[in-house]
Amino acid sequence: MTQERILVIGGGVAGMQAAAALREEGFEPFIIEKEKAAGGHVARWDRLFPTQLRAQEVIDRLSAGAEGIGSATGCEIVSVLPEADGVTAIAADGQRFEGRAAVVATGFDLFDARFKEEYGYGMYENVVTSAELERMFREGRVAMRSGEAPKRVAILHCVGSRDEKVGQNHCSKVCCITGIKQAIELTEAVPGVQVTNFYMDLRAFGNGYEELYRRSQVEHGVTYVRGRISEAGETLDKRIQLKVEDTLVGRPLRLTVDMLVLLVGMRAPGCCSSFGLPTQENGFFAPRDPYVETVASPVRGIYLAGTATGPKTIGETVNEALAVARRIKRDLAK
Amino acid sequence: MQPGSPWFFDPFVIPFTVGVIWLFGAILWKWGRWFVSLPAGDKALIRHNILSAKSLKALKEVVLECLIHRKIWKTNPMLGFMHMSLALGWFLLIVVGKLETSTYIQDPVNPPHVHVFFRYFFPEEPASYVRHFNYALLMDCLLIFVLCGVALAWGKRAYSRMMGMRRTTRHTPFDRIALSALWLIFPLRYIAESVTCGVHDSGSFFTGGTGDLLASAVPMGMLSALEYPAWWAYSIVLGLFFVALPYSRYMHIFTEVPLIFLRAYRLKAKPEGSSFDNFQIQACSRCGICLDPCPIAADLNINHIQAAYFLRDRRYGHLTPQVADTCLMCGRCAEACPVGIEQGTLRLSSRVAFARQTSSYNIPRYEFLTAAEDRSEGTGKVGFFAGCMTQLTPGVLRAMEKIFAAAGVDVWWADRNGGVCCGRPMRLSGNLPAAKKMQDYNTELFRKHHITTLVTGCPICYKSFTEEYGELQQTGIRVLHHTQYIAELIAGGRLKTSVVQTSYAYHDPCELRGIYAEPRYVLSHVATLTNAESREKDRVHCCGGSLANLTLDTAAQTKIGTTVVRNLLATGAETIVTSCPQCKKSLQRSAGNDRTRVVDIAEAVAEAV
Repeated sequence: MTQERILVIGGGVAGMQAAAALREEGFEPFIIEKEKAAGGHVARWDRLFPTQLRAQEVIDRLSAGAEGIGSATGCEIVSVLPEADGVTAIAADGQRFEGRAAVVATGFDLFDARFKEEYGYGMYENVVTSAELERMFREGRVAMRSGEAPKRVAILHCVGSRDEKVGQNHCSKVCCITGIKQAIELTEAVPGVQVTNFYMDLRAFGNGYEELYRRSQVEHGVTYVRGRISEAGETLDKRIQLKVEDTLVGRPLRLTVDMLVLLVGMRAPGCCSSFGLPTQENGFFAPRDPYVETVASPVRGIYLAGTATGPKTIGETVNEALAVARRIKRDLAK
Repeated sequence: MQPGSPWFFDPFVIPFTVGVIWLFGAILWKWGRWFVSLPAGDKALIRHNILSAKSLKALKEVVLECLIHRKIWKTNPMLGFMHMSLALGWFLLIVVGKLETSTYIQDPVNPPHVHVFFRYFFPEEPASYVRHFNYALLMDCLLIFVLCGVALAWGKRAYSRMMGMRRTTRHTPFDRIALSALWLIFPLRYIAESVTCGVHDSGSFFTGGTGDLLASAVPMGMLSALEYPAWWAYSIVLGLFFVALPYSRYMHIFTEVPLIFLRAYRLKAKPEGSSFDNFQIQACSRCGICLDPCPIAADLNINHIQAAYFLRDRRYGHLTPQVADTCLMCGRCAEACPVGIEQGTLRLSSRVAFARQTSSYNIPRYEFLTAAEDRSEGTGKVGFFAGCMTQLTPGVLRAMEKIFAAAGVDVWWADRNGGVCCGRPMRLSGNLPAAKKMQDYNTELFRKHHITTLVTGCPICYKSFTEEYGELQQTGIRVLHHTQYIAELIAGGRLKTSVVQTSYAYHDPCELRGIYAEPRYVLSHVATLTNAESREKDRVHCCGGSLANLTLDTAAQTKIGTTVVRNLLATGAETIVTSCPQCKKSLQRSAGNDRTRVVDIAEAVAEAV
């Protein structure tokens, strides 16, 4: 008996784990990744909340699990079509992939901070995104463009999350704890640096998050100000001047920092509108229902895993990837 | 049947006569009160201008607008004809009817009912006056003219698209009574006159011809019996219409006349409101021409806040803050309004009235402004005021810095390090005292630094400075929007630009209404402009992000902006350009964050410098 082929679109955490689980269930998974290498966003991260585990360790373990699974890289899928007894995925270059079913594990895009023009990203040299800060951590050197180490850093939460003005009304869920983690890491990377987080609400919901939040203040001296930065300006010496209201005290603040880190949120990638699958109001793919059918799309033969359906942590993504394999097994057995 | 008395009285004229007396009594009472309570300044303006050429001009405008309806003709000829046939036709029926009567009875003094019911009192063809002039023929022609208008009005009610209108106004009960009566007046007059002509074998081609037809089809006894009731019916609907008129939309028929005169005498609506508003509000005929251009109607299908409904609610005293606040103040309705009602200012004065009712209105706020430090920098004679919105779009500020440097302009930067708002958002929400504080602060700042030209990066500030900053205008400082300033720099050869290989579609900000040539001149110098030739009336469609809107949520705003983006991209442009930081933000939101880029005109120019 030939094994049934299942297409896994996306080679990040969800894709790799789903492929590994599908193989264990007796299928022949095939990973299609748009980048040159698998690993997704996590592969570009330095360390992970809440334990500061090296991201590479997670990627290594997932890659090991997916070892030997067939894949196509550098291949961007633009549409997924349900067929009579299977699914066809069509790539941008015209390639067609056929399978008995498909797992859409396309993940998320980072919000493009240039659309919050008032923060000057792309214009002021010392305004960076949280992703760029991770790269600095990986490279082992946190510095301003001039090469100097920053003495004061501001981390701004909710850039492109919970913001109607840029059409991103949803909470990206993982940025609060990422901001806490990055603040701690900043104090570790740059001794003596003073880090202030500007937040709307701090949502430390997961295991160990609240503890990390507390530790960042007690042990690392990170400060938290409730208030969203209204605008940023660049001073002559390329530092960043911030205008913000401390909403707990009810007073406007004006302060100058050496570096502004924007905690960019997760937004639905372009494929959410091009695949032709139903989407939610936040733009991400819609599961068949959000309670007990979280990994099935409303379209027969097409399944969903990970942040394709909205912001999630790595642990949640891995769980969904396991669930989707089990779910496909059950559906195809019918 | 001969007239019974020198006053040609018959009981059936009573409804008509009562209606006329009621009508003129009510109008004089209303106008009288409004005139008496006009502000002293307005009264002085009237006294000063009443004996000038302005009165003659106003008279001409009354003929053109109240009778011929020239403005409606210009935008929609079919609608123009409908309004003209009803107004001019009826007016001429009265004038010619009066002449006919006076000629016939050889006495210019006669009560109005005699000429209105002339055919009843003088059913036979008066041979003597046919010799002079065939009044009967003329009156028949006029009646056909008016009936055409009535037929079109019926058609418009049944199917408004026939008249090029998607929406037509929903009416109040008084309007419905008046409207029904109005629709019946002329058909009933036609029937009554035709029956009389049929019975007496008289009349001209239309009523006489119909009379002949009736006489041949209906037994004479029955026709005679119909005659008197027909005249009663005609008189009753006339009376009904006149009684309902002062309380219905038809009050505009009379009120537009003093409005045109007062406007000619330079009276203007005020944000604080005044008795003059009554003339404007009751001059609204609720013709419905303002409904279709409204972006809130077109894009959101919200159909109870448009100018006609706002004025109606305000007139009858049931205006809610919700209706007053749901408006982008983009000015499309005012532009379309054939009566020229100052929609924006009236909307504003209602907001002010509501704001006054709140406890915070007179609480001293922004007191700290008097002690605020001067953060401006530079010494140039050309001042640049970025405004709050430009501060939030630093790309525009950067571009202006580059342009000023390239043109070698020495600039005084009013608010690069932070400044005070121009006050327009406060004003648009009805909070005049707060706006005044900001206005005073900025005016003093500009004066103190002896600038000669003030350039602003934001049309909202521009509008504020040019229309609301009275004291600033007295200082002689020239206020320009950066679009105008850049156009001057390019035209004067001070700014050298290259041509960038891209195509732009330009979006006109509402607040920059009237400044259409400069941005097109500038953009066609730096790249290909895909909508350089668009017609003026299509140019302004709000981006959805208007500061004047106090109720519509982001989703609704985005939807309005989507229309703009779709229309602009349909011209084949790669990039959308506008000249307002607020429009830039809203259009970018509507365009989505992936696809189309939206830039400010300053950024487009800076790229080519």
